Amino acid sequence: MISLTSEKTNQKPSQLASQELNQKPSHKTEPNYEQLGQQLDGLRAETMAKVGQEDANYIRLIIRLQRLVQWSGRILIVLGFVSPILWAIGVLLLAAGKILDNMEIGHNVMHGQYDWMNDKHINSKAYEWDIACDGASWNRVHNYEHHTYTNIVGKDRDYGYGLLRLSNDFAWRVKNLWQFVTYILLSVLFQWGIAYHEMAAERVFFGKKKDNRQHKISHAELKQRFFSKGARQLVTDYVIFPLLAGPFFLWVLVGNLVANLLRNLWTSTIIFCGHFTEHAQVFQEAECKNESKGQWYYRQALGSSNIKGGNWFHVSTGHLSFQIEHHLFPDMPARRYREVAPRVKEIFAQHGIHYNTGSFLRQYASVLKRIIRYSFP
Amino acid sequence: MLGVASGKLSSWISRQILHYSSVGGYLETVIQLVKPNWRDGYYRAEIVAVKKLHANTVEVQLKVPSYWPVHKAGQHLELTLEIDGRLVTRLFTIASSPSLAKSKRLVRLVVKSQPHGILTPKLEALALGSWVNVSKPSGDFTFQFNLQPEQRALFLAAGSGITPFIAMLNAMLNNMLDDQSRSNKHERDANVSALHLVYYAKPGEHLLLDELEVIAEQLDFFTFELLTRTKDGELSKKLPTLNADALYVCGPSPFYHAAAEFAKRENLPIYAEHFSLIPTTPDEQQTFTAQLNSELIELTNAEPVLTQLLAKGRQLTYGCKMGICHQCQCVKKSGVVKNLRTGEVSDRGEELIQLCVSQLMTDVELEA
Ligand SMILES: Cc1cc2nc3c(=O)[nH]c(=O)nc-3n(C[C@H](O)[C@H](O)[C@H](O)COP(=O)(O)OP(=O)(O)OC[C@H]3O[C@@H](n4cnc5c(N)ncnc54)[C@H](O)[C@@H]3O)c2cc1C
Ligand code: FES
Repeated sequence: MISLTSEKTNQKPSQLASQELNQKPSHKTEPNYEQLGQQLDGLRAETMAKVGQEDANYIRLIIRLQRLVQWSGRILIVLGFVSPILWAIGVLLLAAGKILDNMEIGHNVMHGQYDWMNDKHINSKAYEWDIACDGASWNRVHNYEHHTYTNIVGKDRDYGYGLLRLSNDFAWRVKNLWQFVTYILLSVLFQWGIAYHEMAAERVFFGKKKDNRQHKISHAELKQRFFSKGARQLVTDYVIFPLLAGPFFLWVLVGNLVANLLRNLWTSTIIFCGHFTEHAQVFQEAECKNESKGQWYYRQALGSSNIKGGNWFHVSTGHLSFQIEHHLFPDMPARRYREVAPRVKEIFAQHGIHYNTGSFLRQYASVLKRIIRYSFP
Repeated sequence: MLGVASGKLSSWISRQILHYSSVGGYLETVIQLVKPNWRDGYYRAEIVAVKKLHANTVEVQLKVPSYWPVHKAGQHLELTLEIDGRLVTRLFTIASSPSLAKSKRLVRLVVKSQPHGILTPKLEALALGSWVNVSKPSGDFTFQFNLQPEQRALFLAAGSGITPFIAMLNAMLNNMLDDQSRSNKHERDANVSALHLVYYAKPGEHLLLDELEVIAEQLDFFTFELLTRTKDGELSKKLPTLNADALYVCGPSPFYHAAAEFAKRENLPIYAEHFSLIPTTPDEQQTFTAQLNSELIELTNAEPVLTQLLAKGRQLTYGCKMGICHQCQCVKKSGVVKNLRTGEVSDRGEELIQLCVSQLMTDVELEA
C-alpha cells in the first residue's frame, strides 16, 4: 500500500532555495506588482459585472445534462446482458456523468462560483459531490489552503499530496525512487486519495501529532465524516445498484468499478497537468509573507498551467484546463475563463510572465517527466 | 403511515445515493423541462393577470396550485422571481379573500413599485402565462372577531397598506354572502357592530376604490373615508375625531407611531402590520469595526448592519429587511449586536444573526 504520511518538507535553508528559484527563467525579472494587481482586479470586476442569467442557465443546463448522462449510463450498464456494447457505452456515460458532477458542477459550485444565484441547492454550502471525499473536508484543504497558499512549500498540502517529490525543495527519500508507481496508484485511487488527504495531513491515524496547526475540526469528526461519506459511496456503487440489478449483479458491479476508475484517472490527470508541469514553480513561505495582491496573482500565475482544447474538452475538465485563470479568479463562473484567457495572456506578456499552456499531450508528458526527474536526488 | 414511510425512503435515497437534501432538488433541472420554473421547496404559481392601477402600482393575479395552503385574510406570502439568474424573494400581502383562493385558486397582489428596487419594478413586465414561485402564506395580522356588540373597529391604512384590509373586507363579504345563501335571511355579522376604514394616500393615488364601494354597499356595517395629508391633515389630528374600540394599522412608520400613541393614550388594543422596519435611533452614535469575511469595514450603530453594508455596495442576500424572512441570516463569529425587532442583546460568541435587524453594540466579526 502507498503510505500517505503527509508532508516531508525538510526545508533547506532559505538561501539555498532562493538561489535555486533564481535560476528559473521567469522568476528573474520582477513585474510591476501594483500594475499587475490593478489590471487583473479590473479584468475580474469587468467580467463579474457580466455574470447573470446566461451563467445560471448554463450551470442548470450542465446539471440537467449530468442527470441524463448519468442515469442513461446506469440503465445501459444493466442492459449489458442484451449486448456488451450497451454495457460499454453505459460505463462511458456513467464515467462522463461522474466527471461532470465532480468537475464542472461539484468543483466549481463548491468554489462558490454560483453562490450569487441564491439557489438553495446550487451553492458552495449545500453541494455535495458524487465522490468519496467529503465536501466540507475538501472545502477546507483545497479551497482554503491550496488556493490561498498555492504552491508554498509546507503550507499547500495539495502540493504533491505529501506523496510525490516534485521539486528540490523537498528532501529526497529512498521511496521517491519508485514514486512513478506511487503516482499511478494515486491516479487509480484518486478519489480515495483526496478523501484521505486532510486526515493524512492532520495525522489522524498515523504519525506524530503536530501541534502547530490550528485545528478547524476535531479528529473524531474527520474520521466520522471520512468513513460515512466513503461508506456511502462504496455501498451505493458496489452494493445497492448491483443488488437492484438482481441477476445482473456482476455487470453492474464491474461497470461501476470501471466508471469510477475512468473518473479517477481523468480527474487526476487533469489536475496534475494543471499544477505539476515542468515549469510550474514552488515558493518558500518567507517569500510570501505580507505579499500584495499583485504578488499573490503572480504566485498563482507561476504555479499553474493550462491545457489547450475545444469547448467540450474544457467542459469535461470543469474548465480546469484554464488552471491559470482558475487560480487567479477561483470564484468566477468557470465558463467565463474562456473569455478572460486571452486578456490574461496579454497582461502576462506585458509583465514578462510566462503563460504556461500547451496541448494535452505536451503538458502530460511534462508532468510525467517531472515525476521521474525528481525520483532521483 | 404510507406517506411517512415514503417520505423516509425518499430522504434516504436523496442522502445515500444522490447526495442531495431532497430528491426534488436533485431532479429540479430535469423537472423544469416539463414544468418551467418548478423549484424544490417552493410553490409554482402562474401569472394570470397583470394590471397597472397607477403610475407606480401594479396588480398581479396568480394562480396557485391546488395543494397551496389557503391563507387567512391579512396574511402575506413570499414571492420569488429569477432576476438575471439570481433568485430574489420579497414579501407581499395577499390582497384577496381566502374563498377566492379556495374556489378559483386565485391570489392577488397589489404592489407599489419601489424606486431603484430590485424586484417590484419587474412585476409590470411579467408575461401572462409565465411562472413564478411563492411560499405558503404566513403572518398573524388577521382580523380578531372579538369585539362586543355595539363596538367599533377602526382600520387605518396608508398607501399600499390597504392590501391586508382589502383581503379582510372581501373575506367578510364572502362570509356574509355564504351565510345569506345558506339561511336565505339578511343578517349582519353578529360579532362586528361597525367597521370604519380611514384610508390615507397621495391625491389621486387611492387604490381599489371600485372594490371598496361595492363592499360598502353590501356590508351595511362598513364605512370608509379617503383622506390626503395635504388636504385633511395628519392622522394624529384625525384620530381624536373618530370613535373606536380597537385599531388595525398598516402604513409607514410615522403613520403607525401616530396610531400607537393614540391607542396608548386611549388604552385601546392595536394590531399592526409593517412593510418595513420601524427605525430606531440610538441615544449616542458610535462607530465600530466590522470584519465581513476577511474585509474590515467601519459601521455605525445608527442604522441596521444590512442597510449600511448595502449602501456601501456589498452584495448581500436579503428579502423583507425587517427580520421576517431570514434571508439575510449570517454567522456572527464574535461581538455583540442588538436585535431591533425583539430588543434582545446577543451573546459575544458565535451565533446566527439577521443582518437587517442587527444594531452594532461592539466590533463584530461576520461570515456572510
Ligand atoms: C409583511 C410585508 C407585507 C408587505 N406587503 C406589501 C404589499 O402588499 N404591497 C406592497 O407594495 N408592498 C408590500 N410590502 C413591501 C414590499 O415587500 C417591499 O416594497 C419590497 O420588498 C421592495 O422590494 P424591491 O426589491 O423592489 O426593493 P428593494 O431592492 O428591496 O429596495 C427597497 C427600497 O430600498 C431602497 N434601497 C435598496 N438598496 C438601497 C441602498 N443600497 N441604499 C439606499 N436605499 C436602498 C430602494 O431604493 C427601495 O426604495 C410588504 C412588506 C412586508 C414585510
Ligand atoms: S431580510 Fe428578511 S430577515 Fe433580514
